[in-house]
Amino acid sequence: MHILIVDDDPLAAELSAAILQAAGYQTLVAEQALDALEQLEANPDLDVVVSDMHMPLMNGIEFFAEVRERGYPCRFILLTGDAPEELQTQQPGLDACLLKDFSLEHSLPRLVAELTASRHEA
Amino acid sequence: MAIDRSKFIGRFVEEARDHLVRLDRGLAEMAQGSAGEGITASEIDALFRSAHTIKGSARMLRLLPICDTAHAIEDLLGAFRSRQVQADAGLSALLQRGVDAIASAVDQLDRQPDPDALAPADAGLCAALSAAATPGDAPRPAAPAANQTSERAATQEAKAASAPASAPTPAPAAPPTSGLSDSDTLRVRLDHLDGLIRLMGEIIAQHDRLRLRPDEARRIARGAEAEIAPACEAFAHSLREDVQDQEVLIRELHDRALALRMLPLSILFEPAARNLRQLARSLGKEVRCTITGDAISLDRQLIDELADPLLHLLRNAVDHGLEPPDERQAAGKPASGSVRLEARRDGRWVEITIRDDGRGINVAAARDKAIRKGLLSAEQAGTASDSEIVDLIFTPGFSTSALITDISGRGVGMDVVKSIVLDRLQGSIQVDNRPGLGATFRLRLPLSLAIMRVLLIEAGGETLGFLAQHVAEILRLSRDSLLEVAERRAVIVRNEFVPVMPLAELLNPAFKVAPATATAAEASPQVLLVILRIGQEKLALEVDVLRDERDLVVKPVPEHLRHLHLVSGFVSSGALAVVSVLHAPAVLDLAARARGQSVSDGARTMATAGERVNRLLVVDDSLNTREIEKDVLQAHGYSVTLAEDGIDGLHKAMREQFDAVLTDVEMPRMDGFTLTERLRALDAYQATPIVIVTSREKEEDRQRGLRVGADAYIVKGDFDQSNLIGTLRALLG
Repeated sequence: MHILIVDDDPLAAELSAAILQAAGYQTLVAEQALDALEQLEANPDLDVVVSDMHMPLMNGIEFFAEVRERGYPCRFILLTGDAPEELQTQQPGLDACLLKDFSLEHSLPRLVAELTASRHEA
Repeated sequence: MAIDRSKFIGRFVEEARDHLVRLDRGLAEMAQGSAGEGITASEIDALFRSAHTIKGSARMLRLLPICDTAHAIEDLLGAFRSRQVQADAGLSALLQRGVDAIASAVDQLDRQPDPDALAPADAGLCAALSAAATPGDAPRPAAPAANQTSERAATQEAKAASAPASAPTPAPAAPPTSGLSDSDTLRVRLDHLDGLIRLMGEIIAQHDRLRLRPDEARRIARGAEAEIAPACEAFAHSLREDVQDQEVLIRELHDRALALRMLPLSILFEPAARNLRQLARSLGKEVRCTITGDAISLDRQLIDELADPLLHLLRNAVDHGLEPPDERQAAGKPASGSVRLEARRDGRWVEITIRDDGRGINVAAARDKAIRKGLLSAEQAGTASDSEIVDLIFTPGFSTSALITDISGRGVGMDVVKSIVLDRLQGSIQVDNRPGLGATFRLRLPLSLAIMRVLLIEAGGETLGFLAQHVAEILRLSRDSLLEVAERRAVIVRNEFVPVMPLAELLNPAFKVAPATATAAEASPQVLLVILRIGQEKLALEVDVLRDERDLVVKPVPEHLRHLHLVSGFVSSGALAVVSVLHAPAVLDLAARARGQSVSDGARTMATAGERVNRLLVVDDSLNTREIEKDVLQAHGYSVTLAEDGIDGLHKAMREQFDAVLTDVEMPRMDGFTLTERLRALDAYQATPIVIVTSREKEEDRQRGLRVGADAYIVKGDFDQSNLIGTLRALLG
């Protein structure tokens, strides 16, 4: 199970990676959306993308639109520093939108497990 | 706990500090711009992102106080970004308080990586930031983050309520200094490391070539070559080429390895400036701190050593230099003071200036204090020039408790600052005082201590070194051109008297030979002089031979030899054995003591003669010239007061009636011609003898001197004391 983490804050990226690795997932990290798209091109069957919202060049929502436009099937989780509900309403296609905080440690692996389980059933 | 968050705290501290530096810079620009011109939209965006990143990481690590403050900062920056609120100096100061609050929390975390030990966020500050983000005065609804943290916020509020109101800001007595502390890790750019590794590859390849040479030599030795001599020639030639190639590579390797340890001054300047603002706030003063040149990199060793002195000088500027706002306004200055911290590259040196626009150093008060503390006798204090009095702040024991700042548990006074700069950093420090307008401290430091330019000389059969930075110039001149002054020799260098001392004699009084049995050096018609300069003081040392000047690795003095104040380090190079590098400031002190002794003996015997002593005023901008003229005149029984330029001389002449005035021509602020004219306009000085002593030999200058009212015009080039003393005796009758 491969998860791509996209975050321009190296510390946050590392934390997310550590959380997911502890839950037994393989992780890749990209610094920003363009970099992430290249990684997707190289590994088109990636299972999940966990992306930050505020990034240089292209924000998380724009990146999500790009991912869907290119037809990658991966699940897409957006992490944000503020108001996840607003973003979720703004972009209903997102699989989930989570607030970046210390609860990620439990919520993120749980969410990934749920999303990937439902996907495998489908 | 699936992941260990504590190991991320260290990373957070590093990352947050990077962002804090960016925020500090951006806010400084914002504060300088008027009407919002100071900062572009894209810069505001970058600041917003820095605050946002700090907030995100802090929240993931459960560092809620930092998260809340960053959130409030982000609110206000967001309002700037969306043009809802116009940035101005007041708001940038408010943001700065927020950034400073985060910085002290980060410092606290660095000292104690426990999220629960953090002081709660300053609720008032956060509220003010968020309120400022709202156009109009409508209080903002609670931020979404607050819902997430309600439980914790409640306990925090309870804690805050039971604590004194100012709990979140650290007490000024113990400023956070960890921003200036050194860590054991260093981030190195990957391309620098790659370059180093590539270079190592070249050196290894070069070394492989060298490994073939012994075989070649053996073949020649075994007679495998038809012609021995040309074969040896060719061998020597290729060996020399190898050595030269290797030298180039090794030097480059050394330079690059040292460069890895270089750190930008911003590491020191940013936290120091923050510290300064916190101190100013706690003292009820307003300060604008501007930084320039902090991209210049210094060797890490210097950066570490420089932290305390720099902090002390800055705190001193705020504490003693800047006046409270009302006092400033009364003096016609802007209410908020300015402290400018500037760094400038100068070849292999960096000059750091700390300039404040406060009240300056009160010379009269310092003079009284010097007498009270027994550093100077009343007579000495009376004759000392203003700059000599100001220099006393560097004397141990002069800094009273008021001047001592407790940094990391140690009392650091100006004397400690000076000794660190001079002895440990091989630099110099000067103070430039403008009473009522502020003080400027100038530090001059090498960029690295590992390798320095050393002048190697020989004196009294010993090879010795001086750091090139202390050597102003080297002169070779005929022995007759030395002047005899008060039983001491001097030389004139660019309108300045400089005392001359044979180095061998100075270092070892036993070298002193009776005039009858002159050494070979004494007999030679030429003298070789190395002129040392520390600040304004110069000393010409007579040496026998110049050996070399080159870049050498200076090894520090080992612990068991630390008592040798005259030696600052050792160099070994090539065939030379270990050579002592002399510590120029200590050599100057030694020379001053040696001179002072012989002169004061003379002065004492003269003064007891019981006749009325004539009082003279000597005005010259060169410290050495003043000192030497004073020596000569005291040796002939005159009492001497010194002044450092025309203005200083005029003030002193008005305070006290002198029997005669000696003045130089070229001086800052007011030249000698003008001074003569001004003195002649005073009733008290209409008939007082005025002697101009200058290196200007032109007849028209002489004419002008006499025209403005001087009684005599002595050219320094023809100076000998009998001439000066003869002139004075004739004038004073």
